Amino acid sequence: MPKHELILLKNMMQPGYTGSLQDYERAGGYQALRKVVGKVPPAEVTTTVMKSGLRGRGGAGFPTGVKWGFLPKDYQGPRYLCCNADESEPGTFKDRQLIERDPHQILEGILLACYAIGAESAYIYIRGEFVLGARILESAIAEARTAGYIGANILDSGTTANVWVHRGAGAYICGEETALLESLEGKRGLPRVKPPFPATHGLYNKPTVVNNVETLANLPHIISRGPEWFSAIGSPPKSTGTRIFCVSGHVKRPGNYEVPMGVTFRELIYQEAGGMRSDKPIKAFIPGGASAPFLTPDSLDVKLDFESVAAAGSMLGSGGVTVMEEGTDMVWAALRLMEFFYHESCGKCSPCREGSSWLVQTMRRIVAKRGQMEDLETLVDLCKNIAGRTVCAFGDAEISPIMSTLKHWRPEYVRLIHEAEAANLITLKRPVARP
Amino acid sequence: MLKEKYGSEIAEILSHYPVRRSALIPLLYLAQQDEGYVSEAAMKEIAQMLRLTPPQVYEAATFYTMLNLKPVGKFHLQICKSLMCALVGADVVIGWVKAKLGIGPGETTADGLFTLSTVECLAACGTAPMMQVNEDYYERLTEEKFDRILADLKKDGICSLKTGPFMWPEPITVKRET
Amino acid sequence: MATTTDTVRVTIDGIPISVPKGTLVIEAARRVGVMIPHFCYHPKLKPDANCRMCLVEIEKMPKLQTSCSTVATEGMSIRTATTVVHDAHKSVLEFILANHPLDCPVCDQGGKCDLQDFSHQYTATTSRFAETKRIFQKEYFSPLIETEMNRCVQCLRCVRYCDEVMDVKALAPVGRGTMTEIKSFGDHPLDCEFCGGCVQICPVGAFTSRLSMYEYRPWMLKRADTVCNFCGDGCQITVQTKDQQLIEVNSAQGAGRNNGDLCARGFFGFHATSHPSRITAPLIRRNGALVEVTWEEALLLVAEQTNRLKQAHGPQAFGGLISGRCTNEELYLFQKFMRLTIGTNNLDSSARYGHLNGVQAMKRVQGTHRWTVAFEDIVQADVLLLVGTNITETNPITGLQVKEAVKKHDATLLTIEALQPAVGTISNITNLSQQHLSVAPAQFGAAVLGLLKAVIEESHVEGTLQQRASDYVASVTQAVRQISWDELAQSTGASRESFAQMASSVAKGRRVVVLAGQTLLRSHGGYGICLNLLDLLLLTGKLTDSGCGFAPLAEENNDQGAVEMGAVAELLPGALDLTNQDARAQMARAWKEEVPLAPGATLLEMIDRAQAGTIKALFVVGENPVGSLPPQTKVTEALSKLEFLVCQELFLTKTALLAHVVLPAASAMEKAGTFTNTEGHVQSVRPAINPVGDSRPDWEILSAFSVFLNSPLEYGDAKEILKEIRSVVPGYGSLGPTPIPPSVDRATVERYLTEGYRRDLATRYTLPTRTKPPEGTIQLGLTQSLFHSGKLSTHSKGLVQIEPSGLLQMNPLDAARFDIVTGDRVSLSNSGGEYTTTAKVLDRVPEGLAWFPDHFAQEALHLFHCAIDPETKVPSYRTASVSVRKRT
Repeated sequence: MPKHELILLKNMMQPGYTGSLQDYERAGGYQALRKVVGKVPPAEVTTTVMKSGLRGRGGAGFPTGVKWGFLPKDYQGPRYLCCNADESEPGTFKDRQLIERDPHQILEGILLACYAIGAESAYIYIRGEFVLGARILESAIAEARTAGYIGANILDSGTTANVWVHRGAGAYICGEETALLESLEGKRGLPRVKPPFPATHGLYNKPTVVNNVETLANLPHIISRGPEWFSAIGSPPKSTGTRIFCVSGHVKRPGNYEVPMGVTFRELIYQEAGGMRSDKPIKAFIPGGASAPFLTPDSLDVKLDFESVAAAGSMLGSGGVTVMEEGTDMVWAALRLMEFFYHESCGKCSPCREGSSWLVQTMRRIVAKRGQMEDLETLVDLCKNIAGRTVCAFGDAEISPIMSTLKHWRPEYVRLIHEAEAANLITLKRPVARP
Repeated sequence: MLKEKYGSEIAEILSHYPVRRSALIPLLYLAQQDEGYVSEAAMKEIAQMLRLTPPQVYEAATFYTMLNLKPVGKFHLQICKSLMCALVGADVVIGWVKAKLGIGPGETTADGLFTLSTVECLAACGTAPMMQVNEDYYERLTEEKFDRILADLKKDGICSLKTGPFMWPEPITVKRET
Repeated sequence: MATTTDTVRVTIDGIPISVPKGTLVIEAARRVGVMIPHFCYHPKLKPDANCRMCLVEIEKMPKLQTSCSTVATEGMSIRTATTVVHDAHKSVLEFILANHPLDCPVCDQGGKCDLQDFSHQYTATTSRFAETKRIFQKEYFSPLIETEMNRCVQCLRCVRYCDEVMDVKALAPVGRGTMTEIKSFGDHPLDCEFCGGCVQICPVGAFTSRLSMYEYRPWMLKRADTVCNFCGDGCQITVQTKDQQLIEVNSAQGAGRNNGDLCARGFFGFHATSHPSRITAPLIRRNGALVEVTWEEALLLVAEQTNRLKQAHGPQAFGGLISGRCTNEELYLFQKFMRLTIGTNNLDSSARYGHLNGVQAMKRVQGTHRWTVAFEDIVQADVLLLVGTNITETNPITGLQVKEAVKKHDATLLTIEALQPAVGTISNITNLSQQHLSVAPAQFGAAVLGLLKAVIEESHVEGTLQQRASDYVASVTQAVRQISWDELAQSTGASRESFAQMASSVAKGRRVVVLAGQTLLRSHGGYGICLNLLDLLLLTGKLTDSGCGFAPLAEENNDQGAVEMGAVAELLPGALDLTNQDARAQMARAWKEEVPLAPGATLLEMIDRAQAGTIKALFVVGENPVGSLPPQTKVTEALSKLEFLVCQELFLTKTALLAHVVLPAASAMEKAGTFTNTEGHVQSVRPAINPVGDSRPDWEILSAFSVFLNSPLEYGDAKEILKEIRSVVPGYGSLGPTPIPPSVDRATVERYLTEGYRRDLATRYTLPTRTKPPEGTIQLGLTQSLFHSGKLSTHSKGLVQIEPSGLLQMNPLDAARFDIVTGDRVSLSNSGGEYTTTAKVLDRVPEGLAWFPDHFAQEALHLFHCAIDPETKVPSYRTASVSVRKRT
């Protein structure tokens, strides 16, 4: 029995809810859209969203209303909305639940956003692996089109809103907003240099807003129940509303849990997710997906909001909370995440491209018990050389696992290296260049 | 030729975008659906349709992991090996494939039925370990389930154990191997 | 156009500087002499900021910024040499070097490599990289361009250049992450324009030229900055040699009118000069065969025969032909030799083949023999109209200006070409057109008339013109009224709306440039169509506006020079008319002798007179009429009848094989002088190697003739000739970096508008005849290929690897109709005979047309028939109707 009021997951928790248009409308869906389209000036919708304090739920946490406000005011021409359904951050699976179980909630959010920013076309960029999700969305769009919510002159308001599903084809980097736009334009998904920002030069170089699935799913509720209601939930003023946290790893009940922001990790892990799966206590946890630095059990009482987690030395990120029990090899864990980043590096910029390859190879060597003490210095140095020097945030993300595990569990690295030395397996003895 | 076979689908796809090039990935998927992989002839035809050069199509096709430039087995076993799945036994599942089918990552069985790929996070970390076979997810894998899946696929080409839409959290026992 | 604040002030390492708004930080730094290291940045390309090498510290910005993608703003303070920045550079270099192989000993880039230079500047002598470097399998990439992907630093300059500048898009970054490599399409070898741009722009040794692979180290080479001798664009090239061997040609970034860009001919074509079949000694015909003799013997024979024939038959029994590949000095000396030493005006040059049509039109209407615009005007134009150019193959560098205008500055491109939009392995200018009319060469005239009709009827005639030149406007209006839209639609396939739209675009433009190419200039009626295009500019009020102009494209590198040096029968140096009294007086003063008065015979007239027996001797310098003109002109017969034929040549051409004396000439890489490019810009030619064998520069040979004929025209060096040229053509060849185009001469325009237009208005405003092609035939056209220039380039071992022979290029629909696929043998025939060749199906060829490259057409010329323009005497023979049959 969930303790907190569910907002985003509410409909789908009702027994027998299928996610169809009928079910959604019966549950009160599309009321927000009816309330707004043609009746409330678009700028007011933006102000409402600003007042609610809604921040992006994809990982960056940028205030949504402010992002919308960056679009050029006196510009005549096409604008676009992109729904970022490229959920690929390891540890994150909330968007898939929203897509597969309650697609219309997202569609209504998309339509509200289109109305607010003046976009006539919206693209749902959904990762290629979500085949079922893409089908469900397309079927929902067809339903919505028949009902007059999508198409030319929606709800007889004179506004046009077309929504298309665009499947990605397997690239984590396409979750980065400018890489998403490049991919949507039919090119390789390489991030663009910012500035200029998508708000002024986005899809096809036109003003564009890219929003995460969960962010958009919040919009109908904010419009229906008002920004004040929303901003009272969670940890106002900076982290308002609920978030769906994805708990995975060594817990009893891994899954998605929607809680107001400000709930502690302890509550999320032990109450919502049932606590550790066995008698082994918790050793480490990642608060926000693979890009977030690891935290120790000391941080269990940190609140799940943007500022608190940042203050604890990590980030709220995508909301993927991965729990590791005692006995987990932290070096192996860091390597496993590094393999992910190495595989997904787009290859555009030198530090990330060459750095990810170098880091993963060094980590493999350490885990395979062929490491040296100098490697630890090199690892830190390389990470420092990558941070802040790359085109996009992937560079800062890829160094998190290694930096944080080295910081908190250095003895495990050292032990592996000592084992290597003891087994006399070192074949490399070379001068180490001091930078 | 794609245009002859899928003329109306192609027209429908092109109608979604104000710039033709955006239809590139959808058309590459169409080609893959048709032949099982993206052939050079298909890429050349798509280039012509979108007024691109074949190198421009080729560079996009090779960037994305889901587009195969070479044929794969009838059932493409894509097992997630990211940390979150690995914490609860993904490596073991990969080991089962080696033991039961004799293939490693990137390899195909001799009868051309199964290809194994280890892939990155498929956004099913709460129901790990799991895999995707062609388009379908198979979550909360146990050895029993895994055997059944392989058998069903081999026999009927489909398996009722495929999961979706999104599964709710269930309590899990601790006796699972790590 | 000036705005209130066009500049911003920034400080770089404490040095203040004012730069124009929009300047990138890296460019601003260069202006104060600070070179920020970089790989992926290049002034010709959009910033990509992927190498991360150019990081700098900017005050008030927390992270280091890439200077190549940051625009300088007012008050910005930039530091490029702090410890933080220095460490950042070092770390980025360390990353790049991590996977870079230790190839320096075997890498051609060694000594001219950015990575080497920066490494030397920044890194320690050891590396801490202990992992495995990634390896790419070595693959064959192409006959001329070599790739070694292990060395690639993934800066993507090659890909971006091929896309943004060339619009070819033949290169693709394939794969992801550190395994990204540059390929073309799958395992297929590269098939592109082979402009060499990727080789030039690659900062490391990932892209190198195969022509000179492993042959040198940069510091061993001697360099000569000279001008390419293939086409009229006149690109600045640097010829690099080692021990009198030609090794490589490239062009320095920012150099010349080409801004450092080259085409396949310029970059890979230089081996034509060193082909083993170069004539290296003088030859005399003895007992029917050409045998090697000494210069003395040869010159004595020339003098003897010349004197004998001159005494017996007078100076009019002589004629002279010179190639537009020769330098200005040689062209000038040639016409002086013919006019003074021999005493005749029977002289002509390759400018006669088409270039004169454009020049005479300009002279008649606007009083200039040169363009009134330059390449910069093309780049800055807002409307470009291209008629019959196929510019990306004939004048690729002028083509680059057009591409830049459209791609970077959004110019409106209007094209009337015998070409259709299609994406292929080489660029196609019509792909960039906003409006394109695909028209056969025979109907170019119709298309231009359609445009003029639309200008008149849609009221785009410039207001004041109606008053100033009411007769002219009325006459033109009347003339276009005689033509119906239906007829035009039948001739061109274009509707009234199309023409109206095009006319409207032209009229709306503020900087309108009209480019006319060889397909137009060499076609029947080409001169009249040029005049009509000038009418177009006049009527819309553009001709005299700055930034507007008419620009005929020169085919050979110095066709423009040939005209300006008076190497044609009817012109004197300065492109002044032979009959112009002031010009004659000036020449008389300079030469101390009168210029002969009797009008001279032009190319075809000389052939006719040789056939008739009135011309008995011909001096041929670099020209090959037997190989260029259709046999219908009886050129072989005529030249065989000559009592004395002297050829100065590089190779034994068909014409040279008929000669009595063949003298070995030095190529453009072996002599000094000047070329005048299509813009009218005079540039220095400098020797890279000594003349091969016993060859001498053409001007030296001509000078020697004059000495042996006892009327010496002696010069110490080419510079002295230039000095003399300057005395008769004031200020000729000021040799500055940019041309100074002349302005339209108002008086000439006035004369044209009041009287000059009348004399041929009726003929040129008549629709060209339109014949329905009989079943089973197509219109065969001789075209220029991107990879060749005349016959000279067919001796280049590099270019011959790309295009070894002529193929008949046909449209897919026509090919299907004749049941032909690429590779099939095809027989072409008409009343002139039959010719068998191999077919190549090509999307860009319009239906009903087929192309054959004239470089390989010597044996196909019997299919063509010559028609001569009554006013300009230009022979046109480039199209013929032929029936097509597949040979089984």
